[in-house]
Amino acid sequence: MVGAALLVGATVVILGACLLLVILVVAVRARRHSRNQRDEMLLSPLRPPLITVASGEDDDGAATEELTWATGVSRTVLDRNIVEMLTKIRGVPADQLVRVLEVHGAVDAAVADLTSRSTVRRARAAQLLGLAKAEHTVPLLVTALGDEAMEVRNSAAYALGLIGDPVAAGPVLAAIGAPERGLPAATAAEALQSMGVGISEVLRDGMGDPNARTRMVAAHLSGERSFTRGLPELRRLLDDDPDVTVRETSATAIGRLGRGEDVAILVRHTVDSEPLALRRACVIALGELGDPAAVPALATLLADADPRLAELAASALLTMGPDGSSALLGHEDDAAVRSARLMASLQRASA
Amino acid sequence: MSWDGLIEGLRSFVVWVMDVSSVPIIIYFLLINTSLLVLIGLAYLEFRAQQRRRATALTWQGAGLAPGVSLLVPAYNEEAGIVTAVKSFLTLRYPRHEVVVVDDGSSDQTFARLEEAFDLVQVPRELPHEVPVRARVLGIWVPRDGRTRLVVVRKENSGRSEAINVAINAASEPLVAMIDGDSILEPDGLLHVTRPFADDPTRMVATGGAIRPVNGSRVVSGRIVRVEMPQTWIPRIQLVEYLRAFLLGRTGWSRVGGLILISGAFGLFRRDVVVEVGGLDPDSIGEDFELVMRIHKRMRDEGRDYKVEFVPEPVSWTEVPVTATVLRNQRRRWHRGLWETLWAYRSMLFRPKYGRIGFLALPYYWLFELIAPLLEFFGILIVPLALLLGVVNVPFAILFLVLAYGYAVLVTLSAMVVDEWAFHKHDRWRAIWQTIAASVLENIGYRQATVWWRLEGWWSSLRGKKHVWGVMTRTGFDEDPA
Repeated sequence: MVGAALLVGATVVILGACLLLVILVVAVRARRHSRNQRDEMLLSPLRPPLITVASGEDDDGAATEELTWATGVSRTVLDRNIVEMLTKIRGVPADQLVRVLEVHGAVDAAVADLTSRSTVRRARAAQLLGLAKAEHTVPLLVTALGDEAMEVRNSAAYALGLIGDPVAAGPVLAAIGAPERGLPAATAAEALQSMGVGISEVLRDGMGDPNARTRMVAAHLSGERSFTRGLPELRRLLDDDPDVTVRETSATAIGRLGRGEDVAILVRHTVDSEPLALRRACVIALGELGDPAAVPALATLLADADPRLAELAASALLTMGPDGSSALLGHEDDAAVRSARLMASLQRASA
Repeated sequence: MSWDGLIEGLRSFVVWVMDVSSVPIIIYFLLINTSLLVLIGLAYLEFRAQQRRRATALTWQGAGLAPGVSLLVPAYNEEAGIVTAVKSFLTLRYPRHEVVVVDDGSSDQTFARLEEAFDLVQVPRELPHEVPVRARVLGIWVPRDGRTRLVVVRKENSGRSEAINVAINAASEPLVAMIDGDSILEPDGLLHVTRPFADDPTRMVATGGAIRPVNGSRVVSGRIVRVEMPQTWIPRIQLVEYLRAFLLGRTGWSRVGGLILISGAFGLFRRDVVVEVGGLDPDSIGEDFELVMRIHKRMRDEGRDYKVEFVPEPVSWTEVPVTATVLRNQRRRWHRGLWETLWAYRSMLFRPKYGRIGFLALPYYWLFELIAPLLEFFGILIVPLALLLGVVNVPFAILFLVLAYGYAVLVTLSAMVVDEWAFHKHDRWRAIWQTIAASVLENIGYRQATVWWRLEGWWSSLRGKKHVWGVMTRTGFDEDPA
C-alpha cells in the first residue's frame, strides 16, 4: 500500500511539474511578445527624431531636444535604444545622443548602478558610462575590473577602452591574470587597443607578468601597435617563455616590428628541435622582416622535412628581391618552390 | 510437460526475475533520474550565467586576438550541395578563416562542381604528414583568383576520419573546425565558438557548439532564412532529442568541466593539439568522441592546464534522418562508437589523475548512456510478459510506466523552457505544440525502437562484426518545404 501511494504521489508530482513547465514555456513566449509590442508602441512616436539625430541631420538640435522630453517608461525604452545605437555610431550624432542620456539622468543613474546588487545592472551601467565617454568615471570603472561577476569586469574593460584613457591600461592588463576573477584576454586586448601610444610601458611590463595570458596579450599588442620599446622583452619571451603560444605570438610580433639583429634570434627557433608551429611562425616572421640576412637560413629550410615550412621559406624568399630569388636557383623543381611561385603569381594577378 | 505447467513455470520464473531485479532497477531508476535532475540544475545555472552574459553582451567582431580558423569539410558524393555549402562557409562573419574541402574519392561530380564554381587551379604542393594518413592524396587545388581562401584536396576514398586527417594536414590556421559538408553554420557561429579561445588563448583546446536539425526549415544559398519544424514525426522527435542533449546534457557537463563529447557535425579544436594526439582514429566508429577522450587523456597524463568548453548558442544546423532505416543505421553506429570508446578508455575510470572525467563523466556514460538501453530492453520484455501472465498489478504497472515516461517528458520540457527563454528560434506557436507532442510520442514506439537499434550496434561490436557505413539520403536544402 505504501509503495502504491508513493508511486501515485510521484506520478502526480511529475505530471504536475510537466504541466507547470508547459505553462512556463507559453508564459515566456507570451511575455516576450507583449514586451516587444509595448516597446514598439512606446518608441514609435520617438522614432522619427531618433533617426534624425542618428543620421546626423539634426543641425538645429530640435530633434535632440524633442528626445529629451521623453518621460516614464518611454524614456527607459528610448534610453535603451540610444545605448544600443551608440555602439554603432560616432561623431556629432553620438554626442547628441549622449546629451539626451545626460538630460535624462541616465549617466548619473549609471554611476549609482555600478554598486547595484544586480549583475546585469552593474554591467549595463559600466557599458553606458563607456559609451557616454564619461571620463570622470575612470576610477570607478577601474574598481569594477575587480567585480565578482565576469560580465561586469568585461563591461568595465570595454568601457575603459571606449574612454581610451591610458591611465587604465595597467589595471586592465593586470586584471587578465587576477586569480579567480580574471578578465578575458580578448576583451582586455580590445580595450587596450584603443588606448593610444601611452600604453607601451605598460605592455613592456606586462610581458614579465607571471600569467601566460597577460604575457600573450602584451606581446600581441606590442606587435600590433609596433611598440619597438618592447623588443627586448619580445626576444626574451621567444627565447625562453614556458608557454609555446606566448612564444609564437612573440615571434609574430618580432616579424612586425623587429630589426636586422632579430634575424639571428628568429633563425635560432627554426631548428627542428623546436615545436613545428613555432618554427613556422618564425619563418613567416623572417619573411615579414624581409632582411636579406635571413636568406641563407631560409634557403636551408627549402629542404626541410616539413613541406609547409619549406613552402613558407620559399614564399619568404620570393618577397626578398634578387637575393631571395637567387637563393631559389637550383630548387626550381622542388614542390615547395613551385607551389610558392604559383601562389605568388595568383596573388599578384589578383592584386 | 502440460501447457498449464509450462505457463506456471514461466510465471514462477517471471516472478523470480522481478523479485531479484526490482530493487536494483528501482535504484537504477532513482539514480538515472537524480543524475538527470542534477544535469538540469547544472544546465540551469549555466544558462542563468549565459543569460546574464547575453543581457550584457558586447559586440565582438573577432578583432585582436581572434585566432584564424580552418574549416575542414570532408565530402563524399556531395555534388548536390557542395558548392552552396562552400560558398556559405566562405562568407561567414569572421576576420580570418579558410575552407579546406577534402573530396574523399567521390564517384559523382563533387570535384567537377567545385572546379567549375571556383575556377580551381592545381598547386604542385606537398602536404605535411603531421597526422598519419594511409590513403593517397591525388592533388591540391586553389581558386585562380588568388584571394578566395579555399583549398580543395582530392584523395582516394578511405572514409570521413581519414578525409579530416588530410584536411588537418592541409590546414594553415591555428584552429580547425570539423564540419559535415551538409551542415549549415549560423553566420555568427564561428564568432561564438572561437570566443572561448580568444578569451583564454593559452588553455582552451576544444569547443563544441549546439547542433539543431534543419529538416523543414527554409534554406536559401546555404543560409537558414526561416526556422520551421520538420514535416514528419521521426525528425521532430530527433529535434526533441537534440534539445535535450545539447541544452541540458552538454551544457551541464561543460559547467562541471566534464565535457567528453563534442559532436562530429561541428567541433572546434586547436590544430597543434589535434596533431599532437595523432588526429582522428580512422578505425574508430565514434571518432569524434574518441578524439576528445584522447585529448583529455593526453592533457591529464601530462598534467597540463587546459579547458574543453561547450557553447550553447546554436552554431550548426544539420539534416537528420527521416526514415527508420537511416535512423537505425545511425543509432547502431553511435552506440557502437560509444561502447568501443568507453571500453578503450576504461583505464581512466576512477583514477584520481583524470579528475572529474574519471570520477563523474565516464561513470555516467557507462551507467546511463551505455547500459541504459540494456535495462530498458529488459523492462520492455518483462513488463508485457508479466502483464500477460497476470503476475503484476495492471494499474500499478501502468502507473509506473506513466511515471517513467512522464519523467522523460519532464526532462524534455525543461530543455524547451531553456530554449524558449534563451534562444527562441521557432517563431510559430504551432512549433511549441508540436514539440510537446513529439516529447510524448517519443515514448510510444520510437524510444523502444532506438533501444533495440542501440543494442544491435553494441552486439555487432561484441561479435567483432565489421561496421558498414550506411548512406544518409539527403533531401537537399534549396527548396521551400512549405
